[in-house]
Amino acid sequence: MANEMKVPPVGESITEVTVGTWYKKEGDTVKMDEVICGLDSDKATFELTAEANGVLHIMAQEGDVLPIGAVICSIDGEGSSDGAAPAPAAEPAKAPAPEAKEEAPAPAAEPTPAAEAAPAAAESKVIEMKVPTVGESVTEVTIAAWSKKDGDHVELDEVLCELESDKATFELPAEAAGTLRIVAEAGTTLAIGATICKIEVGQSAAGASAPAQAAPAAQPAQTAAPAQGTTYAANHPSPAAGKILAEKGVDPKEVNGSGVGGRITKEDAQKAEKSAPAPAPAPAAAKAAPQAPAPSAPAQGERGQRRERMTSLRKTIARRLVAVKNETAMLTTFNEVDMKPIMDLRAKYKDKFKDKHAVGLGFMSFFAKAICIALQEFPAVNAMIDGDSLVYNDYCDISIAVSTERGLVVPVVRNAEQMNFAQIEKEIIRLAGLARDNKLTIDQMQGGTFTITNGGIFGSMLSTPIINAPQSAILGMHNIIERPVVVNGQIVARPMMYIALSYDHRIIDGKESVSFLVRVKQLLEDPTRILLDV
Amino acid sequence: MQYDVIVIGSGPGGYVAAIRCAQLGLKTAIVEKYKTLGGTCLNVGCIPSKALLDSSEHFYNAAHTFAEHGIKLADLQVDLPQMIKRKEGVVEANVTGIQFLMKKNKITVHQGFGSFVDANTLNVKKDDGSDEQITGKNFIIATGSKPSSFPSMPIDKKRVITSTEALTLTEVPKHLIVIGAGVIGAELGSVYARIGSKVSFVEFADSMIPTMDKTMGKELQKAVKKLGTDFYFSHKVTSVENTGEGVIVKADTPKGEQITLEGDYCLVSVGRRPYTDNLNLEAAGLAADSRGRIEVDDHLQTKVSHIYAIGDVIRGAMLAHKAEEEGVFAAETIAGQKPHINYRLIPGVVYTWPEVASVGFTEEELKQEGKAYKSGSFPYKALGRARASMDTDGLVKVLADKQTDEILGVHIIGARAADMIAEAVVAMEFRASAEDIGRISHAHPTYTEAIKEACLAATENRALHM
Repeated sequence: MANEMKVPPVGESITEVTVGTWYKKEGDTVKMDEVICGLDSDKATFELTAEANGVLHIMAQEGDVLPIGAVICSIDGEGSSDGAAPAPAAEPAKAPAPEAKEEAPAPAAEPTPAAEAAPAAAESKVIEMKVPTVGESVTEVTIAAWSKKDGDHVELDEVLCELESDKATFELPAEAAGTLRIVAEAGTTLAIGATICKIEVGQSAAGASAPAQAAPAAQPAQTAAPAQGTTYAANHPSPAAGKILAEKGVDPKEVNGSGVGGRITKEDAQKAEKSAPAPAPAPAAAKAAPQAPAPSAPAQGERGQRRERMTSLRKTIARRLVAVKNETAMLTTFNEVDMKPIMDLRAKYKDKFKDKHAVGLGFMSFFAKAICIALQEFPAVNAMIDGDSLVYNDYCDISIAVSTERGLVVPVVRNAEQMNFAQIEKEIIRLAGLARDNKLTIDQMQGGTFTITNGGIFGSMLSTPIINAPQSAILGMHNIIERPVVVNGQIVARPMMYIALSYDHRIIDGKESVSFLVRVKQLLEDPTRILLDV
Repeated sequence: MQYDVIVIGSGPGGYVAAIRCAQLGLKTAIVEKYKTLGGTCLNVGCIPSKALLDSSEHFYNAAHTFAEHGIKLADLQVDLPQMIKRKEGVVEANVTGIQFLMKKNKITVHQGFGSFVDANTLNVKKDDGSDEQITGKNFIIATGSKPSSFPSMPIDKKRVITSTEALTLTEVPKHLIVIGAGVIGAELGSVYARIGSKVSFVEFADSMIPTMDKTMGKELQKAVKKLGTDFYFSHKVTSVENTGEGVIVKADTPKGEQITLEGDYCLVSVGRRPYTDNLNLEAAGLAADSRGRIEVDDHLQTKVSHIYAIGDVIRGAMLAHKAEEEGVFAAETIAGQKPHINYRLIPGVVYTWPEVASVGFTEEELKQEGKAYKSGSFPYKALGRARASMDTDGLVKVLADKQTDEILGVHIIGARAADMIAEAVVAMEFRASAEDIGRISHAHPTYTEAIKEACLAATENRALHM
């Protein structure tokens, strides 16, 4: 019994949508509320979620333009009673809702082949998730935050929580679909291998390996399962296999042993990683699926591709950058600085400075100093939003963006406002050294109140840096280029640098941001002001 | 000096841990109070006793079975000093070998007595009285055990001796009284029984090797009895006295009467105790429990997480190979791996003749746990190879799950039991059934056929050669 799904009304003035990407294939088993397709309108992109559990039949192909209310697909209900019923309730405004309601009870009575296969794999069990091995010298991690609550339903590979080690932050994906039971609370420090949570894989298991295809994919699983169920040694790992599985944090119960009587061989254990720590071979097939429909455009020449897993550090950076863009009202203001006075000063004193302080006199100390003065005059730029409050900082902890092989890190120069030039230079060199050796601790990277990033060293002329959350502003330095400028009515060549201030408009007004940048410019163009505090 | 790992004690647990640490790229040091490496096992335990066991076995065979083989000997004599000398040669070769392994793996050896200064610093007191302090990120305590004794049996190392002294006697005792008929007592008692001593075992329990399967104790007693030994089971020793010329041992019989045994030596082999004396555990934030053991979790970590303990100083059987497994386990854990150890499948061996070896559950344990099991056994007498070699004492006993046929325990007494037990361990690590072994080809004629036959007997009582 098919449950027709129609293009929902998405906004007043929108009359049609384009089918973007199907995330599910024809014939896939889908779960209620699972995202099955992306739709594009002229205003926005949105996702279409399944209105019932069942087998998907696609009626409109990618690229098709459909009017609101047109049928886009149908779902052959597999009929778990809780499946279809809540759907209409959730979106009462929708036209297709009543139809779904009517048809819901019917499929319940006649399970499809997919539903039959389900119980085989759906033996209720509890998967213990352990803190994975994250690197050679890392022995413990701290739970930064749970993104799911105790008792929540989670999907396979869904991010459950964020873990921090002294090297990096990473995410813990669910090893199976089911109900989450949190064992260790946020803030707890756990040893590698300690149990962090449990997932109760219940009836939903079949749906969990969600992508599980209907009949053909389910069949082999079905025949394999009983064979193992009967022998006492099924899922028993050999000593070497046991060690490998423990290190991967894979529960032997989750591995299909290929040895005699379902015993887990070393090879089984080695492979267990590749096909995700989930039951059944289904997910592997499913993973390949999205790639399959990719159109192959004819082309000439070398067209090799490489696919590498994102490192957790890279993933974390990516997620945070996007989050900042989405969650702040960020904009950028620019100014330019005549660097001649600083360059003159450096030329004059750099040797003496080096002799006395055993460190070179760089631009960074001028910038850090000027920024500290400006921050104290415009405290909003040094503040941050925390919930409904504004948090003003009386000190200036300046984060300095350092590019390393593994990605961008931002160690913090603490209380920069109290430091002299030499102290700032030394601290920056120390932190940059730690960063390049991967020895920065989380502590050393947290808690900055304002960030400086210098794209100029790579040749950047002008850029709009992204705020380093939860801070509210970031200053971008750029390269110094000789350009004609007018000084006292004369056109002269001067070493000029554009500076950019990206800021969160929610907390910093235009007047403050622009004035802040002007003040920084003033201090840099006449460093004597730093000395005299004028 | 700062090390990634400092191992205290160079016995089989300690030196193996050190080698594995070094293999994993950890900067490793080992601290040993004796001049030679190898600990109890190599210096005064397994290796020297096995050397003497073999020597005495050869003598016994020469005296009793060679004629039957058609080999005639005249003037057979025991040259005990030579026997002891050969034993010392074996020990020396072994400890030199360990020295070489340390060098090969670039492990720094600190000779001296280690004691904690704090949780990261170890003081090494050298023989010349000087001190050296070394620091480590991790520690593995592998200080092993010492023979234990009771106040009623004051050890003077002259007439009232422990296993250590029993390995260096210069004369064959006329009457050796052995208190305790466990593994060590049975082994050393049989050494001297073979070379002509009258040996009397006084044992508090009601059988030999009381911790093993009862069948094994019974069979071993039969075999050792043939050497002309006496047994006083369920007897409680009340006093041991060194008279200068000999010893007088008094014990209470099960009926409460007192008996007196006179001998020239008394070997006290009533077990061993963890050796953590003067290690200054408190300075590291640790303490030994009432039995002198250091408490560890499943990762062999003490409550101070960077300090591990292995072998005889922790719970579990006091066996060299158990300590070795734990040494590897601790090293790999320190390196961030998640190693495997299955305590249920650590074999136990007694090097008497015939040898006794076992792994897994004993029949008594299965009964106690109420497990439904079946049993199959096969005597050496029915084995072609055993008959050819005139080693017909002994049997193999296999215990398997009644429903699943999974092998739960294997107990062997007989020639080469110590080597044969490995087959059972491998099978049980893979949870083989008795029938699995019964269907696996075994070379003929070998002793291991007895395992196959016992498994067949356990399967459906279908042993082929019975």
